[in-house]
Amino acid sequence: MSEAVTPEPFGVGLPLDTQVSRPRAGSVLLEVDGEIDTLTAARLQAGLDEALDAARSEGSGVVVDLSGVTFLASSGLAVLIGGARRVAGFGARLRLVAASRAVTRPLQVTGADALFDTFDDVASALAAAALDVAPPPGVAPPSGEVGR
Amino acid sequence: MSDAETLDGMSTVEVRTSATAALIPTIRAVASDLAARADFDLDAISDLRMAVDEACATLVDAAEPTSVLQCRFLVRPERIRVHAEVEAAKADTVLSTDTFGWRVLQTLADEVEVLHEAATEGRRATVGIRLDKSAGDVPR
Repeated sequence: MSEAVTPEPFGVGLPLDTQVSRPRAGSVLLEVDGEIDTLTAARLQAGLDEALDAARSEGSGVVVDLSGVTFLASSGLAVLIGGARRVAGFGARLRLVAASRAVTRPLQVTGADALFDTFDDVASALAAAALDVAPPPGVAPPSGEVGR
Repeated sequence: MSDAETLDGMSTVEVRTSATAALIPTIRAVASDLAARADFDLDAISDLRMAVDEACATLVDAAEPTSVLQCRFLVRPERIRVHAEVEAAKADTVLSTDTFGWRVLQTLADEVEVLHEAATEGRRATVGIRLDKSAGDVPR
């Protein structure tokens, strides 16, 4: 046998990118791109924590955009379910944008889809999230450029 | 059943990697490709890809650090059987099946089974998972 080598992290899998933004008043958007598995679930957790902390302190609704996710393993589902529970703790629902089979199938086959409000596109999810909370005083409600 | 465990001249593919999570994306891509070529429906392709990922992740967690992860795909009419195996971290390593990931695996596959083999002379103990997935929701 050859000598024991410490396996180097080897970037075969696509990296997972997360980005938090506030595309409109009253909502925090977490965009996720890449593959969510045991290697990258921690990065999803960090992004989700950041988004939920921001939403909590700003009194905003949260949307998690999974449009760019090409694989979702149980480790990622567990993170999303944890997020749904946390949001349920402050009386809201976690909103997911999930259009591709890579995301919708894992949600459906595990029954986890019942824990989320799922949307086909970001605009409708944001419109729904904004209804969660009254706009802060002094901020004009957004005009009808988004949603349907 | 035993004949299905050998390279029998039918459509059998074996992938061997280091038992590291970083290489599981490669294995699940092979699973997905084989299912697509075997005319699995789109949900079944997605399920198999996820099931193989789940099985491999479970095994990597239980593997001896320098182990090989051996993953054999037996492509049959209307179904694929997957047999994945690693050398166990310890002689008494047992796969835990009371996890969320295991429940998901059971949901995704038609059948799933844990395989433990005790160490023999010149061979470490192994842990494995065998799973079966059919091509789609065909009446059986």
